[in-house]
Amino acid sequence: MNRLQGSSSSKRKRELALVSDTLTDGERILYNLILSKRDMGIWSGDMKRETNLPDHMVKKSLKLLQSKGMIKEVVNIQNKARKHYMAAQFEPSKEITGGDWYSEGSLDKDLINVLKNVCVKYISRQKVVTRDGVLDWSRKSGVITAEVSNQQIEEILRALVLDDEIIEVKSTGYGEFENVPVGRVCYKCKSKSGVRGEPKDGAMSSIPCGVCPRINFCTPDGIVSPRTCVYYQKWLDF
Amino acid sequence: MGSQYGLKFAVHLVTNHFGKIVAKVCETLFRKGPLSLGEIIRCTELTPEQVKNSLLVLVQHNCVQAYVPADQFRDEEESTVTVEYLALFDNVIHRLRFPKFLEIAKRQLDDECEKVLDGLLRDGRLTLKQMVERAVQGKENPGAIEAVVRGSFHKLLKAHYVERCPAPEPVVSTLIKAEPAPRKRGSKMAKKFEAPETIEQRVMEAALPGEAIRFAVIEYTGGNADREANSDDTIMVNVGDNSGGIANEGSILWRANFEEFIRHLRHKLLIENERKRLDDGAATILSAILDATKNVEKKVKIEKSVPLSLDSIFTEVTKNEYGRTMTIDRVRASLVQLGCPQRNLDDSYSIDLKNIVEMARNEEVESIVLKRFGGDAYRIFRLLSKSNCFLETDKIAELAIVDKKEAPRLLYKLWKDNYLHMEKLVVTAAKQSRFMLWKVNKPVLWEYVLDEMYHAALNLSLRLAFEQEKDEDLLHVSRDKLTPTDKSGEVNSVQKRYLRLRDVLFLMGSSLMKLDDALMLFHDF
Repeated sequence: MNRLQGSSSSKRKRELALVSDTLTDGERILYNLILSKRDMGIWSGDMKRETNLPDHMVKKSLKLLQSKGMIKEVVNIQNKARKHYMAAQFEPSKEITGGDWYSEGSLDKDLINVLKNVCVKYISRQKVVTRDGVLDWSRKSGVITAEVSNQQIEEILRALVLDDEIIEVKSTGYGEFENVPVGRVCYKCKSKSGVRGEPKDGAMSSIPCGVCPRINFCTPDGIVSPRTCVYYQKWLDF
Repeated sequence: MGSQYGLKFAVHLVTNHFGKIVAKVCETLFRKGPLSLGEIIRCTELTPEQVKNSLLVLVQHNCVQAYVPADQFRDEEESTVTVEYLALFDNVIHRLRFPKFLEIAKRQLDDECEKVLDGLLRDGRLTLKQMVERAVQGKENPGAIEAVVRGSFHKLLKAHYVERCPAPEPVVSTLIKAEPAPRKRGSKMAKKFEAPETIEQRVMEAALPGEAIRFAVIEYTGGNADREANSDDTIMVNVGDNSGGIANEGSILWRANFEEFIRHLRHKLLIENERKRLDDGAATILSAILDATKNVEKKVKIEKSVPLSLDSIFTEVTKNEYGRTMTIDRVRASLVQLGCPQRNLDDSYSIDLKNIVEMARNEEVESIVLKRFGGDAYRIFRLLSKSNCFLETDKIAELAIVDKKEAPRLLYKLWKDNYLHMEKLVVTAAKQSRFMLWKVNKPVLWEYVLDEMYHAALNLSLRLAFEQEKDEDLLHVSRDKLTPTDKSGEVNSVQKRYLRLRDVLFLMGSSLMKLDDALMLFHDF
């Protein structure tokens, strides 16, 4: 999706046209190439290849275009180490940024965790809550800012289901679902305390072998064996 | 037949219980399939006497079943009958869970039943006369004890925890029948695929006593016999005089009916899982349904519960104290939650038990993934497990909210450890694009996880033995020196070692029993 920063006012267009008139041929070629890539932008290496301009000219021109505010450098999530450029009037697309959850090319884990904690606490207080109920609360309570969209809240709920922190159920209209229309999607907290990250207790995961990275090499009489195993040693070291 | 480590673990159990020679015979049968006596002698290079004695021990303890392959009778000139021996993997593994079977008998019946069952488990198979002799040996009041043993035996029989031993050498056809030609493609009447019966299944089916006598105390003679059935299907046959009955007490062999214990444990898992997932009400209803229908279940691994009408379900539920607080509407709502949203055509209800078992399996595997690979991989795995279809790398990263640079690395790790299936897709349009597609292939994964579990069970057992060997000298120290008696709470080094060993054995023993629950979940349920 292409979004234009600021207004696409004729004033801005005139300014750009004036600045563009002062560019050298090389600079103009580079600028037009970058402009043509719209919200996807282009890597400096690809620019050199497509324009056949010498390396020093490309570097100098890019610096100049940046100083004039005609282009900007953006972080490409696919390859953060590469210098990726875009015309100033475009917002980077999701393929470049990674999406709503990305900031400076990295996943904003702090924001995600804060939103998850807040949602889990709310759902655990409510016992059972519909999807719309969570969205309404997130808008009205002011706990979650307007910058976080409804879609992002839904994505957080989906991630919490995948984390097994909450479960998605359909209302039966009975018992705890008394006030919810039959068939409506609801969420319930899995942990009783509403605290995230409670350990899950499987049979295999409770013993060293269950989580051992070397189990495929382990044999009864081999170099890696239950008798010599350091993980067992640690486990039995009371 | 078991997996690679399943067989190793089974051989380990046989070695522990019966020694290396018997284990060698058993292992040969596991690896090479059913063999005749001569073939076993050749393969094991043991003496004929050693092999014969080993087979006798294994048959006595229900780990091997003899049978006569029917194919040899095609050649009319053949005068000798060759008996083959089949090792029973499941029965060997059941030896690990004898303490659980005893606990079931104790809780559901009583201590005396537990003792009778203990004798059967220790000795493999006994006649009723032998059970009585075993109990009265060295005791002062044999008459009273005999009555208790008989009473306990009948209780075990009524509960189907004891069964008549199978036929010693049934004739079994080992030819695999050709599948009938398929009907036209897409036909709604097309037969649902069923895996062909294994030789083990055929032999056991042929050996099993008929339902009429499997849990019958006295041989059914037909003709002049008057047949009266008890309140359930334990059949007592009156044959006019009791002489046949008393003689039979010394000749009819009985053994523990593993199938019924496994059914009990399966039901327990189903009920407790639904209690955790839903509530006590749902658990009460499921328990009532399974209790009411357990005697008519055709096999242990039924996919859906035996259909019951709502009235029958409600009647069963109200037999329980908690169930009496429930209304019929509550029962109906819980049936929906349990996975039975609508009635069958005949107005009956049937719970999807296979789904409950699948959910339990998913949980077990997911807990391994979480501990082994971390939270992000856990989300990815659950996404793919729920989707049950191929998803592309970037799509997975987006739906699971995992860093797009991290996702390929985690997916590769899961794939390398056999938790995911991967396929490459090359799309040629304006330019060629390569996509990696990922999926959880549950049947394959569960077999792999089961093998890992057998491996872990073997490791636990070996380490347990190692820890005991390390502190073997403690066995010769008198008990009063092992337990700290000093009021100050100080312990000497021997006592420290003893306390450590005690804690180690407890931890490992209980871990093995918990792991065994998982083995049953993936193999028997």
